[in-house]
Amino acid sequence: MALSFCMKRSAMDIRKLFVKKENEKAKPAQVIVNMVLALAAIYLFFMLSLKRLDMKLDFSLLWKFRIRYLQGYKTTVMLSIVSLILSLVIGFISAIGSRSNILPISYISRIYVQFIRGTPMIMQVYLFFYIVGTAWGISNRFLAGVLILSIFEGAYISEIFRGGIESIDGTQLEAAKAIGLEPGQTMRLVILPQIIKRTLPSLAGQFASIIKDSSLLSLISVIELTQTSREVSATNFAVFEVYMFLGLLYLTLTFPISMFTKYMEKRFSYENRT
Amino acid sequence: MKKLSLLLLLIMISSLLFGCAGRKAGELVVGMELAYPPFETKDENGEPVGVSVDFAKAFGEYIGRPVRIENINWDGLIPALETGKVDMVISSMTINESRLEKIDFSKPYAKALLALLVNVDSDVEKAEDLNREGKIVAVKTGSTGHIYAEKHLTNAEILSLPDEGACVTEVVQGKADAFIYDQLTIYRNHERNPDTTKAVYIPFQDVEYWGVGVKKGNTELLEKLNGFIDKFYEEGGFDKITEKYLKEEKEAFDRFNFEWFFTDVNK
Repeated sequence: MALSFCMKRSAMDIRKLFVKKENEKAKPAQVIVNMVLALAAIYLFFMLSLKRLDMKLDFSLLWKFRIRYLQGYKTTVMLSIVSLILSLVIGFISAIGSRSNILPISYISRIYVQFIRGTPMIMQVYLFFYIVGTAWGISNRFLAGVLILSIFEGAYISEIFRGGIESIDGTQLEAAKAIGLEPGQTMRLVILPQIIKRTLPSLAGQFASIIKDSSLLSLISVIELTQTSREVSATNFAVFEVYMFLGLLYLTLTFPISMFTKYMEKRFSYENRT
Repeated sequence: MKKLSLLLLLIMISSLLFGCAGRKAGELVVGMELAYPPFETKDENGEPVGVSVDFAKAFGEYIGRPVRIENINWDGLIPALETGKVDMVISSMTINESRLEKIDFSKPYAKALLALLVNVDSDVEKAEDLNREGKIVAVKTGSTGHIYAEKHLTNAEILSLPDEGACVTEVVQGKADAFIYDQLTIYRNHERNPDTTKAVYIPFQDVEYWGVGVKKGNTELLEKLNGFIDKFYEEGGFDKITEKYLKEEKEAFDRFNFEWFFTDVNK
């Protein structure tokens, strides 16, 4: 009797280690143990896959190329930051433009968003670089890359902004009018602060997309991370090592951003509730 | 508990799916990148055709196994061999040392030389002219032209691009001085862009030999392949293939006095 009670007890304790209570946060000990467990499971699955194929990986082959990797990493970071800024500008103009009462402006903005979001980026890269870029004398690949990426991401950011603008209750505009604010003042004092607050988490998430999408600029030989990897694997044929390492490098950029996005989402959802 | 059983079910289903994705018994899977006409390409219906396809099928007949062609990106061909996704690679692949570290090759079945497609306004007259500051060389990523450029054109800027069309466009638009590829491709692209390009055919490296790639250690298949290549030559198999796919090109090559892909390869 006592023994079975004990066993039941310890079974409950073990269960507690893996299962969190509904509506409660996991305890730090739970987080650590279970995170290690999850990672180990994924790692083991992967190792098993390699073993089934009888493949051996040799990451030391990559050390020789460390300077090229570092340059590629820097280029990816620079590309992404500059493109983020530029795409914010493009996205903002297009979001405002699509709501404009002047129809040509409104239509151009909408067609732009539809076209970019409705076509694959690979086609846009070739089209913009070899036709538009060549026609207008943009020969610098980094610059062309920044422009292509910004135009691409701008369409997505435009939609984020548009959602933000539309989420603002119409009564606020009336209230602003009632207290005698000019349209410009209404924008600056009432609408913008709220839009920024509401769109910031999505924009941060979009930054992670920019980093990943910049890999497609390898198509026109912008020597960023992906292109560096393709070049390295073309000389040492260590394709799997190269691409695994590539994934790891992108994660060092996107993981902090995704953490930051989560944090922002939490903060703002809390603020909006009050 | 419900979730756990759901997860188990998922794992079972996925393992079933993976299990089914295997090949049929006895099938010989041949990997090639169908982007190099007329050696490896597709017909109007998307079926694989070309020199390498006929060659692969003839080999399949010789060893009595049905052949399935698997279209794989150039970068992915060697990995496909390593992971056993394909039994062999016939994709106009040059036998070289760095590839030999990863896979084994049959004896050569064809040979080729590199050439240059040069922008019409460029002052490049031979390969050595490219090895200078400010010269821009387009290559297809991972091709022997790429390897040549990395080794010998260290002063030039190398643009490595994923497909042939992009490399040609770079030269046509004057973004690059030259594109390094085999003589046949250069000849054809020059014919297509006679006003914007020049072709330089002066040999600037040793002859490249193409071999059939197999997984490291697969000597059984390799021996059969080597026997077949000799037999195919004796029976005039490559002459028939030339007649079928490369008649015009052969005439052009003879006119230029170039060595043909299938002449005296193993002599």
